[in-house]
Amino acid sequence: MDYFIISRARVDSQRDTMINIQFKGIAKHYRRRTILDGVDISLQDSQCTLLCGANGAGKTTLLKIMAGLVRPDSGTLNTGLGEMKWRRCIKALKEKAMYMHQQPYMFDASVRRNIAYALPPMLSHEDRDKRIYEALAWANLEPLATASATSLSGGEVQRVALARAWLRSPSVLLLDEPTTNMDHDARLRTHNLLRQLKDQGMAIVISSHDALQFQSLACRQLLLKDGKISPVNTITQAENVSAFPINPLQQHQQV
Amino acid sequence: MDTLNNATFEAIQLLASGDSELWNIIGISFKVSTTAILIATPPSLLLAFLLAYGNFPGRRLLISVFSTLLSIPAVVVGLTLYLILSRQGPLGDLKLLFTQSAMVLGQIVLCVPILVAMCHSALQAADRRAWETARTLGAGPARAVVTVMHEVRFGLFAALLAAYGRIIAEVGASMMLGGNILNATRNIPTAIALETSKGEFSQGIALGIVLLILAFILNGLLHYFQGKGRFAT
Ligand SMILES: Nc1ncnc2c1ncn2[C@@H]1O[C@H](COP(=O)(O)OP(=O)(O)OP(=O)(O)O)[C@@H](O)[C@H]1O
Ligand SMILES: [Mg+2]
Repeated sequence: MDYFIISRARVDSQRDTMINIQFKGIAKHYRRRTILDGVDISLQDSQCTLLCGANGAGKTTLLKIMAGLVRPDSGTLNTGLGEMKWRRCIKALKEKAMYMHQQPYMFDASVRRNIAYALPPMLSHEDRDKRIYEALAWANLEPLATASATSLSGGEVQRVALARAWLRSPSVLLLDEPTTNMDHDARLRTHNLLRQLKDQGMAIVISSHDALQFQSLACRQLLLKDGKISPVNTITQAENVSAFPINPLQQHQQV
Repeated sequence: MDTLNNATFEAIQLLASGDSELWNIIGISFKVSTTAILIATPPSLLLAFLLAYGNFPGRRLLISVFSTLLSIPAVVVGLTLYLILSRQGPLGDLKLLFTQSAMVLGQIVLCVPILVAMCHSALQAADRRAWETARTLGAGPARAVVTVMHEVRFGLFAALLAAYGRIIAEVGASMMLGGNILNATRNIPTAIALETSKGEFSQGIALGIVLLILAFILNGLLHYFQGKGRFAT
């Protein structure tokens, strides 16, 4: 598939836009059951992938494997230094990828501290405050900064989790059904934030059983079924463009 | 009845007047038990973490061993350590018997199972997502461990309090390993047990009051933390 929309970040940073990370032959069994049976998937910067599949198809398992949280039974990984065994580059993978739970976990602390968690520990006090402030502003969370994160609504929890992702800014962001149980407004907000993350250059993978919802965001759609991945050709480029308003800068670049 | 009244009155006087012998005994109790808890807690926490999150052969066996050890009688611990530390025992050369160190050792053995079992169940009750979230947000294993412990801190405090409550009031091991030597190894429970049998009621009552107050405080804190823990999840 061609990549038609060029993000600002990609142009600005001039960074390597080739394949960012590549998984090959990922297999996972639980007891005797095969959940994943040789999945190949590669991710590129600023690319949004929609991962569809029925309940129990193994979407969560695959995303956790891709985040380095679950270890596959077999599979190799290429994070840019050549194809390697899982064990050898798990650390590099963890640094690159971030997983967001279907219901993101909030630490028993304030919203501010939950967001600050995503910052590297070695950072000056002023830098920390500045970046936390920026993240709060980015996700529209300033009024909630000192609130306890464990008592937030589902939509607010989602925004805190996205603010953490924004701060951590991984090259690969893996989201597990990010908008289940959200009302229309919250969904729009989430889409909007996700689009910004994508435009910053993140490779985003979204798992969902509701493909339609993310069509405006996704560049491609994959189907996970019987432990295998196959592409779905429902999102055409034309739809992709018309489905959401593109900002003027991007439009200019497309011309 | 009269002797009891008099003894109680004397007991309160003893406490209030800051009787040095009495406060020495109280001090030894707290010193020994606090030392034991401080030494026992880090390895117990680590073990509890491994039991809750690790995946190694013998894990289930270890869990049941520790829950069995929960109800081990203090005198059995005392006896076992006595045999090990006595002059003919394998560690007899260390000359630890009838010292505070021996008491600390005994209390460590007594409180480790409580710490491990209770910390284990607190950690196991922690949401798996806490660990995964910490790791995926860039925390290394050590930081993630601290984070998860922070999430279940009330359960962990409860474990500490329960363990402290057990060893501070424990007679059997302290008696056998310490020997109830005045100003050295005589602590609250051994003093109550032995001095009372010699007819020194007022000191026994005074120390009993201290233990009761302590038990009251520990229990209050325990309820507070357990309640907190319940609401936090
Ligand atoms: N830790 C585990 N131990 C045993 N079985 C597991 C484990 N994790 C997942 N499974 C099984 O693997 C299968 C796939 O689970 P997974 O959560 O990946 O599915 P999913 O596609 O995310 O489903 P959903 O759409 O309901 O979220 C399920 O049948 C589940 O029971
Ligand atoms: Mg799932």
